Parts: sequence; C-alpha cells; structure tokens
Amino acid sequence: MKVRNVIIILAILLIGVSAFAKTNKVVCSGSTTVLPIAQATAEAFMDKNPNVNISIRGGGSGVGIAALQNGTVHIANSSRPMKTKEMNQCRAKGIAPTAYAVALDGIAILTHKSNPVSNLTVKQIKAIYTGAIKNWKDLGGPNLPIVVISRDVASGTFEVFNEKALGGAKVISSALLLASNNAVVTSVADTPGAIGYAGLGYLGDGVKTVSVNNIVPSKATVQNDSYPLSRKLYMYTNGKAKGAVGSYIAFIQSPAGQKIVENEGFVALK
Amino acid sequence: MKRLIVLLCLGVMILPMMAQEIKLTGEMWNRWTVERGKKNVAEEFSIIRNNLSLERGYLGLEPKFSDAVKGRFTVDIFSADLSDGAGLKIKYAYLDFNKLLPIPDMTTTIGLQKVYFGSIYDWDYTLIGKSPTDEYKFANSADYGLTVHGYIPKGWGEYALGLYNGEGYKKYGANLKDNIEPAFLANLRVIPVAGLTLGGSFMLNSSERSDLLDGPGDNPKYNKQTLMDAYLNAAYGPMSLTGEYMTKDVSYPNDSAKDMSANCASVNAVLKLKTLVEKDIDFVVRYDRSDPTDSDEDENIVTAVTGGVNYNFMHDDSSNPAMQLQLNFTNKSNSVKNDKNINSSALMLQLKWRFNNTLKV
Repeated sequence: MKVRNVIIILAILLIGVSAFAKTNKVVCSGSTTVLPIAQATAEAFMDKNPNVNISIRGGGSGVGIAALQNGTVHIANSSRPMKTKEMNQCRAKGIAPTAYAVALDGIAILTHKSNPVSNLTVKQIKAIYTGAIKNWKDLGGPNLPIVVISRDVASGTFEVFNEKALGGAKVISSALLLASNNAVVTSVADTPGAIGYAGLGYLGDGVKTVSVNNIVPSKATVQNDSYPLSRKLYMYTNGKAKGAVGSYIAFIQSPAGQKIVENEGFVALK
Repeated sequence: MKRLIVLLCLGVMILPMMAQEIKLTGEMWNRWTVERGKKNVAEEFSIIRNNLSLERGYLGLEPKFSDAVKGRFTVDIFSADLSDGAGLKIKYAYLDFNKLLPIPDMTTTIGLQKVYFGSIYDWDYTLIGKSPTDEYKFANSADYGLTVHGYIPKGWGEYALGLYNGEGYKKYGANLKDNIEPAFLANLRVIPVAGLTLGGSFMLNSSERSDLLDGPGDNPKYNKQTLMDAYLNAAYGPMSLTGEYMTKDVSYPNDSAKDMSANCASVNAVLKLKTLVEKDIDFVVRYDRSDPTDSDEDENIVTAVTGGVNYNFMHDDSSNPAMQLQLNFTNKSNSVKNDKNINSSALMLQLKWRFNNTLKV
C-alpha cells in the first residue's frame, strides 16, 4: 500500500515537471547586453505566435545563470561563456546547460566627443584601467585627467573586458562602476575626460568610439574576429531547447531574427 | 595570545583596504529546540531541553585583491554551546590564488579553510542537521592547511588535494603541539551525466605524538587514522537523492588493544516544490545508520530518522532565498540501550537569514 502511494506521488510529480517544461510561457533573465536583442526578438516572435508569452529580465549574466541553476528561468542570457564552476553547479543539480550563440558583439571603447584621441592599444587600455596612465596628455590628447568608468562585477561585459583587455588585472580603485551599458554611455557623454566601454548596440551620437590596435569595431572586424574585444552573445537553456523555447531561439538565429539583431546595433552571426 | 589576536584584528582591518572590492556576508541561525530523552536508562522519558538559541552567527569579509587573488575571513558568533555569554570561533581565514599554477580553473588555497572530505565542504543545510561526516565525527568541517582544488573542464566534476593540521578549526596551541604529523587528503567528484554525481574521498590523519614530550616512553594515545567516503547524488527536476558511506579505521601503534573502526551510511531525499507550484517549499527526509565502534565489545548501532519542511522566502534576482524557515523532527535510537546509549527525539524550528553586499573600495 505504501509503495503504491509513493508511486502515485512520483507520477503526479513527473506529470507536473512535464507540464512545466511544455508551457508556452518562456522566462528569460540575465545579461543587460543581450536584453535589447531578447526584447526586440521576443516582440517580433510573439506577434507571430500570440499563444507564447515571453517575459524578460536583466540583472547581469551571473544572475541569469544562477536563475537557470535554480530552475526559475527557461533561458539564461549571457554576454560571456559559462564558467566551468557554473557548469559544474548546473550539472550537479540536473541542469544540462546548452549554449546557443544569438549574436556577435564588440566591446567598444568610448570617450567624450571632444577628445581627439582616436586609437588606443590594448596595452594602453590596460594602463588606463589599472591607473598607470592617468592623463590624456600621455596618450597624445589634452592635459585632462582620465575619468575611468567600468561595469559592476556581476556584468558579463566586465568579465570579458577584464579578460581580453586587462588580462585579469585589478581595475583602479577610483573607477566609477556602473550597472548598465546605458549608464556607461550616458556618463561618458557627460564627462569630458571619461573613458568607458559598452556593447556595440548601445552606441549613440553622444560618445566617440576609438579604434583598438588600429582596428575599428565594425560588422566586418567583429565577424572575422580581428577586433580584439569581440565576443559572442549567448542564450543558455537546460538541455536542447524544445517547444516554445526552441522555436524562439530558432527564430533569433533565423535571417529574420538576425536582421533584428543588426537593427539593435549588434552584429549578425554570419 | 593577546598579541596574536591584535595582529589578527589589524590584518583583518588592513587587508580589505588593499582590496579591489569587498563582499560582506552574514548568516544567522535562530533556533528553537525541544528534546525528549532521559539522563539514564532507568528513568522515564521527559523533556530534557526546551530553549531558543543562536546556533550560528557567521559574519564574513571576502576581499577581492585582483581577478587572481581573493580572501575570506569568517567568524562564528554563537550562543548555543555556552552557559553564559556568547562564543566566538574563527571559521575561515584563507587566501585563494587562482593563477598560481598554470592549470585552468585550479585554485590554491592557504589558511584556515574547508576540508574537502565527503559532503562536508558543500553541505547546504537543506536539513537543520550537520553533514554525516561532521555529525558522526569523521572529519572536521574546516582546518588549517594548504589545498589545490579545481574543476574538471566542461562541468565533468571537481577535485581537491590537501595538506592539513588534521585537528580541525576548533583546536590550536597546546592541542597542536602534540601532533607533529600533517593530514593528507584527496577528493574527486565526477558528473558523468547531468544530474548524477559520483564521488570519493580519502584522508590519512593522526593525533597526539608517538613519543611523549614531558617524559620518556611512548604515548599510548598516539593514533593513525584512515578515512574513506563514497558519495552519490542523483538530481532530476524537483527531486534529489544523496547517499554517502564512510569508514574510519584508527590504529594505536603504541597500544594495539585500542584499535577500532567506525562506519556510517546516510541517505537523504529532497523534493523542491518551487518549479511545480510557484511556492518555494522543500520537503526533506534523512536516514542515518552509524556504528561508532565496530567491535565485539560495543555492538551498538545508532539510527536517526529526520523529516522536515523548509519555507524559503525573500528571494533575490537569481531566486536565491535570503530567509528560510525550517521545521525538523529527528528520532534517534540505539540498538543497545544503556546509560551511554539513550534514545531521544528532537523537534527543531529554525529561522535562518543571510545577507551579502559587495562594496567597492
């Protein structure tokens, strides 16, 4: 009798799990860089599929991946590859993280529009962000102190920038740490001595984009990976994406979805 | 001793000033315990404990000096073990070096740190009780030492190799002078498929010293310990099942009559309702079978059965709860009943709350 009861309870639970997996509600959270891509593509996807409801939150790549581990989202948006530690934590909990590249991006180095410096090497960027160079005159610019603006540590953009530009070095303690790409762009636009960085999709007329190692971040240089700060943007799911989640990601990777990616200022996969 | 404490306090104050950022952490366990038992086998059962306590009061600083170097300093302020006032233990005080060795995802840790044995190092207290390794005194949860540990690429598992004092974080000074042999540890966990974790730990330890410091002759208390642990965890959807079996063989080179061995098996199951009913509630059950002295003289087997429910609330953006209300009932019984082995049961209600905040220096 007891065994039968246990089997009935387990069967009810399994049905519940299956029902959760097959729902037409798709929940995503994570990277603020991927956010505009997710929002714009979700709107277009829901227009074509009115029975699917996609809800999207930001928070940072780390937050999205933790939510995937906790089983509270279907998609974790990430502007960096998942770390080995995160992958272990997922797999130990029965989550099989599967990466889908949805766009390409270059982390653009931004300065104020009035700043005449038009190119920086990766070595110079590292020197600026670690405090070895503190004035634009040392870089051929005006006699103006450099105001260093960076992203908060939960940001995937920070982690990619930290790895590719700084080689893991410590950011100068006087740096201003901001929580979003938009906040960085706005602050750089308002501060004549500022330097910051943001995804290509966030650039506007208020800031100047400098080339890195004499390579301008563009569709061509990001796609051929010659721009030093180029990267892939990902959506992670638990196992192979199926149902509404699979259809949504397939839509983003389709020519129609990739056109939206480019409209948002990012670079298409091909 | 006072100088040591002053230096320690200065270090704690100065180190974070050099850091890129500091994470402040805290975790408090407020517990109400009602225990039913008796003082000796001849008495009737009665309530022998009914009190509120702060079982743990962890406060931590986690300075990040660079991407490659991080620290952790955690103290435990508690009221539970003392008749008067509050106690203070240093739980962790270590530095992590991520790029000391040119192996990806490997960390070298130096200082008072976790002991990577069995389930003790990542026990998440889904149940109020300790991990079986800790509960049945097989290994300490923290110790002074040097470890290298890391992750196998692509999420295939993790490993650790360690050299410790072997006495645990609660012992220092005179306790350590009597032990001149370090403990060695090896731990491996593999995840062949998502949701299935297989692991094993091996530790060689000793306590006391062979020759007495304060006189001629051998020390009869000197002993060598071999500890082994097998670990299995299966997780599928909202359910997870964990099993652990451990053994401890202790030999006394100067008094072989005292040689002994112990073993313990523990199984626990968790059902998380969060993804099913959108209420963050867990149901937990656990069964332990422990033989603390596997010998003809003492054939007592201790069994403990625990059932419990957790209600998790105040979640952050990642759905991690800041607060947890836990209700557990444990029934402990002995196969041989005497004044040393008395059955008991306990009801515990615990409100656990935690916080963390990262400050930019």
